[in-house]
Parts: sequence; structure tokens; C-alpha cells
Amino acid sequence: MKRVTAGMLTLLLVLAALASAGLVLAGCGSSSAGSSSTPSSSPTGVVHITMWHGDLDYAAKADNALVAEWNKANPNIEVTAVYNGGNDFALQKTLTAIAGGKYPDITYIFGSWAANIVKSPKVVTLNDLIAKDKSFDWNDFWPAERLAATVNGKIVGVPALVDNLAIVYNKKLFDQAGLSYPTAQWTWDDLRAAAKKLTDPAKKQFGWAYPADASEDTVWHWEAMLWDYGGDILTPDNKQATFNSPQGVQALTMLGDMATVDKSVYVDTTNTKIQSTFNNGHIGMLVTGPWDLPGFPDVSFGVQVMPANHQTISGPDNWVLLDNGPERVNAAWQFIKWFTDAKQQMYYDQQTGALPIRQSQQQQPDFKAYLGKYPGTDVFVANMGNATKARPTIPQYSKISGFMGTAIVSVLLGKSDAKTALDQAAQQTNAVLAVPGQ
Amino acid sequence: MSLHPGSRAQRLLGSDHLAGWVFVLPAAVLIVTFGIVPIAWSAIMSFQANDLVSPPSWVGLANYKALFHDPAFVASVRHTLVYTALFVPLSVAGALLVAWALNRKLRGVRFYRLAIFVPVVTSTVATGIIFLWLLDPVFGLVNFFLGKLGLPQQGFLQDPNQALYCIVAMTMWGWLGFDVIIYLAALQGVPEELMEAASIDGAGKWSSFRNVVLPFLRPATLFLVVWSTISALQLFDEIYVTTRGGPLGSTTVVVFYLYQQAFQFFNGGYAAAIAYVLFLAILAITIVQLKVGGRRIYSNS
Repeated sequence: MKRVTAGMLTLLLVLAALASAGLVLAGCGSSSAGSSSTPSSSPTGVVHITMWHGDLDYAAKADNALVAEWNKANPNIEVTAVYNGGNDFALQKTLTAIAGGKYPDITYIFGSWAANIVKSPKVVTLNDLIAKDKSFDWNDFWPAERLAATVNGKIVGVPALVDNLAIVYNKKLFDQAGLSYPTAQWTWDDLRAAAKKLTDPAKKQFGWAYPADASEDTVWHWEAMLWDYGGDILTPDNKQATFNSPQGVQALTMLGDMATVDKSVYVDTTNTKIQSTFNNGHIGMLVTGPWDLPGFPDVSFGVQVMPANHQTISGPDNWVLLDNGPERVNAAWQFIKWFTDAKQQMYYDQQTGALPIRQSQQQQPDFKAYLGKYPGTDVFVANMGNATKARPTIPQYSKISGFMGTAIVSVLLGKSDAKTALDQAAQQTNAVLAVPGQ
Repeated sequence: MSLHPGSRAQRLLGSDHLAGWVFVLPAAVLIVTFGIVPIAWSAIMSFQANDLVSPPSWVGLANYKALFHDPAFVASVRHTLVYTALFVPLSVAGALLVAWALNRKLRGVRFYRLAIFVPVVTSTVATGIIFLWLLDPVFGLVNFFLGKLGLPQQGFLQDPNQALYCIVAMTMWGWLGFDVIIYLAALQGVPEELMEAASIDGAGKWSSFRNVVLPFLRPATLFLVVWSTISALQLFDEIYVTTRGGPLGSTTVVVFYLYQQAFQFFNGGYAAAIAYVLFLAILAITIVQLKVGGRRIYSNS
């Protein structure tokens, strides 16, 4: 039982702070430092750029193959792909690198951090590059990706990875219960009734499962429901909470009733056991994304879009460009444009099973083969069109998510009714949004 | 060498000082870099609004003032105190009991000692996952046996009213072995002849334990109480791998709250203020413990 002490956390905190402090210094002296550090264009005219990614295994192989292809075809721009040690710490590592003055030209950043990274003076906002470059079709990216990459109108990055939520169900349990499989015509009441029928306490069997650790995982599952019921998270100007609207109360009441009245939901407050429980055949339906499918080898599963209006939620990540002088920014832009193009992405997705980041990938010759290779993916691809909204890209979102998470879990555990819980979370949210200068 | 007797340089080079400093230099550099500097820097940070990305600004005592009006922080202090008040006496007393039981000539005593110590060297992540499944309300073994015995099913880590106590039980299981080793060593230091003398004087088992063994164990007890208190006040790992502060914040202890503020909400300055308040609290508690406990050792020896 080796312990992480408060001291270690403080050390980590200080390192992070030093990173930002260094970033400030680098920012102040950037005009001179920036111009003096340009000569990565060596006398031979070759521009060297670096890309940090979080891929391992076959995904890293796919990255490297693409980079090799680029380097062969473009002797003037040499790209080096470097593993960042895992995307969970990509933001801190990138900031530390910026502080040190030697940082990559392209770095993978979770979409939820877009509003944080945009504060860094080294981040290249892409609006001008996109506007000037006619060969780059920004609108080919899914709407949810474009929304998530945009902070206050500034485009922070090029979409790197995308996913969404749909219903994944255990066919055997549906057959045993004499139920027909979920259809696209399902209402939320249909889902609730099916979950109830699939529940059998004697067999420790549940109709549905819900991650209830009050994290963003708890929250985004519910946000899809909220949108589907016609509600929204904040007002369009991001000044006020609206998730406690009648639609929000209705959506959360439904969820709460399933958990506490029907008892048809396996509520996992630790959010560690749902995948294995589904794979063991104890859960009829999950709402989850394509990344979970490889975790269900023991279950014959089907995939269906969300009930009623099919609203889903997407969590896209971005390639963020950092400023190492105009020459390298231009080189990074040329490369990332090529890298995120439909043909290259189709290759990547075939190797990894990731969803297409561009809509036009569906017209790629390999698209059919790709769908055949990854069963269930077809529904998730089609479902991208149902991801029309995005979470607010504001730095306060992580706090707001915390308030919403607590509200959802308190209802799931029967500790509060939906209206009371959401009203309280809305009050806390409004207080956070009222703080100026964020 | 003796040209300038008494000169500073001569004293430094000629004496053991230089060798001494050279020997401690690597450790000193490490301590300064990873100990002193962060302590000083986090003190500075605690007076800043610092989101770890954009330039920090000075806010004076605002972070500290906000702390005492933050119900979530106050709740985390309460959880930490409840945890410490349970964990420290239970684990120290439990360890004494186990050590006493293992300090006899039993068949297979080595095996029992090993069994008690194994959890200490098991990774917290493994322990956490084992307890998550043991205590699962639906699929867990513990509820299965409760059911067999006709007892009501419990929520354990999923129940806001029980989760903190489950964490106490889980960490006791994980840490008892360490305390037991310390006590075993101390018990073996109790002189045989004193025990014999006590029994000749007609002291019973309990009486000789109370009047001979316990006083001998005081230094070990003081060490364990101080050490367990410090680690209990800094509880983090076990929370991080199991409940993540939930359900509904019922296991959010001070260090976990610090983590959330720093790395989930990016409130660097606020997190540093929490770290400082915790540091000062631990310092104060430890001083009191050493004063009180130390006095008793001296008066008895």
C-alpha cells in the first residue's frame, strides 16, 4: 500500500504552477525568443516539426505509417511523431513543455480542455488558416466536433477523435425476456418498460446500468437525455443554467424513477464495474460508446440509437497547433490538414476501429470494409448525425459538471427529487458563472 | 596544512565537515528541490488566483478566507476527522492485539505473521479493486454471506452513510500489518527476566501485561499513533481508487478535495491554501501528540 501523500500532490501542483509561470515568462519574451528559434529550417530548406500523440499499439503503428508516408512524399517538411505518455496528462505535459521553451508543433488535447488550453498565448487559433485555405473543408467535420473545437468563436484545434453514445443491448437477455430488440422508434417509456422486464433480482439481472460517480461520465449520459427531452445545459450566452427547466426535471425524474421505483438500473457509484457486469450477462442495456465494444467478447450485442428524438452527445478531442514561428506553424498546418483528410483517416480508422472524424469518409472506397470489420460501428457512425449539440466550451464547465453530477447521483440514490436537486445545482452554477474574468 | 591554524578554510577542509557535507549533498539537493522549494512555492501560490494556465494574480488571504466559507471544504475536514478518530485508535489497538497473539510460540506463527503483513506490500489499486467487488451491494461476497445468515443487505461503498466506515475497514486491513511488525519488535524487546520477576511476585497475565509490557511499548505506541495520525489525515489513494470521494461527497477527505480543486477544477491557488491548512494542522497535532506522549514516556522510565 504505497501512499500518495499530500506532499506529492503539492509537488505536482507546484510543478504545474511552475509550468504556467514559465509559460508567462516565455510569453513575455516570445517576440525575441520566437524569432531566434526559427532556424529549424536548416540551410537545406527542410522544416522539422513534432507531433505529440497518445496512441499505443496498433493505433501508434497507424500514426507512424501515415507519418512515414508523409515524410516520403514531402521532403521539405519532416514530421516526427512522439508518444506523449498517455492523453490523461497531455495538457499538463504540453504546458510544462511550453514553459521549458521546447514544445511540439502539434499536440493531442482532450476536447474538455479546449477552454483551458486556449488561454495559453502559444496556441495557434485556426480561424484565419481555415478561412484562407480553400483546400481544407472545415464543414466536412461533424457539427459536434466543430462546436467542441470552438471557444468563444476561436477555433482551437482540428478534430482528432470522435465518439458518441448509443444503446448497446444484450440480445440473449432480450430473447429470454420475450422482448423484441430496441428499435429507432423507441420512446423513453419503451426503454423504461423494457428495462423493467429485463430486471430479475433473483438472477441479479438489471435492465440498465448507470455510472453514478458524479463525474463527467455521469453527467454526459444525462446531458444526452436532457437534450432529447428538449432541454439544454446553459442559456445560449452561457450566463445562466437551464438544465433545471421542466424538460430537465422530466428527464431526471424518469431516470430516478427507473433506479428507485422500478429498481431496473444497476447504479454503480464507483463507476468501475459496469463493463464487466455487462460482459457477464447481468445487464440488458447500456448507453455507451464504440470504445466499449471490444470489452464485450462474451456477449452477443446489438446497437441502437437513443430513444425518441435520437439526441446523442459526442466527446471529440483535438489536434492543437502551437506557435514555433510562422514557418513551422505553416508546416504543421500542411501536415495536419493532410493527416486529418478523409483518405488518411479512413486508413487510421480501419486499423483502430475509431469513428470517422469526417463526414466524407463515408464515400471512401474502404468504408464498407471498415464497417464489416467492426460490428456495431455502423450505428455509431450513423449516430454522429444525431450529435448536433455540444457541451459549453467554457473554463467553468468542469465545476458545473460537478454540480450536475451530484444532483444526478442524489436522485439516482433516492436522496432527493429531481426538481430540488437540479434547482440547487442551477443555483451553484449561476454563482460560478457570475464570477467575472473567467 | 597548519599554516593558518583556525582559518575558516582550514577548518572546513581539515575537519570532517567537508566529508560530511559531501556525503549529505545528494540528499540535501533532493530535499531542497523536491521538499523545501515546493513548500515555499506552494505558500506563494496559496496567495494567488492561479489556474495553472494563464498568469496568476495576487489575491492576498482570499483563498484562506474562502476556505472557511466553503461547505465542501468544511465537510471534507469533518470526514477526515471522523476517519482519523476511528482509524488511529482502532488500528493501533488492533495491531497490539494481533502482535500479542503472534508473539507466542505457535505452530506456523511465521505463516500468520506473513499473512498479516501481505496487505502492506499489496498495491493499493489491487486492494481497492478487491474491496470494490467484495463490498458490491449486488454481486459482492459480503452481502452474499449476510443473505445466507438472514441479515439485511447493505450498500457499503455505494451508501453515503456507510462508505466512510468501509474505507476505515479497508485501510485497517491494508495497514494493520505494518503496525503489527512494529509492536512485535517492541514486544520482543521486553526482557524475559522482568516477566519472570512479575510472575514470581504473583502478577497474573493481565497484571503483568498492564504493568510490565505496556510501559515497555510506550515508545512504539507513541510512534505508531503519530505516524498513523499523519497518514490518516493525508488519506488519498484508497479514496481515489474506490469511491472517488463519493457517493455524494461522503468520502471526500481533505487531500481528495485538494486534488479535485487542483486537477479537476484548476484552482491552483485554492488547492495550495488547502495544502497549507492541512500542513499546519498536521504540524500542530503532531507537536501536541509528541508533547503529551513524550512526557508520559519519560515519567515512566
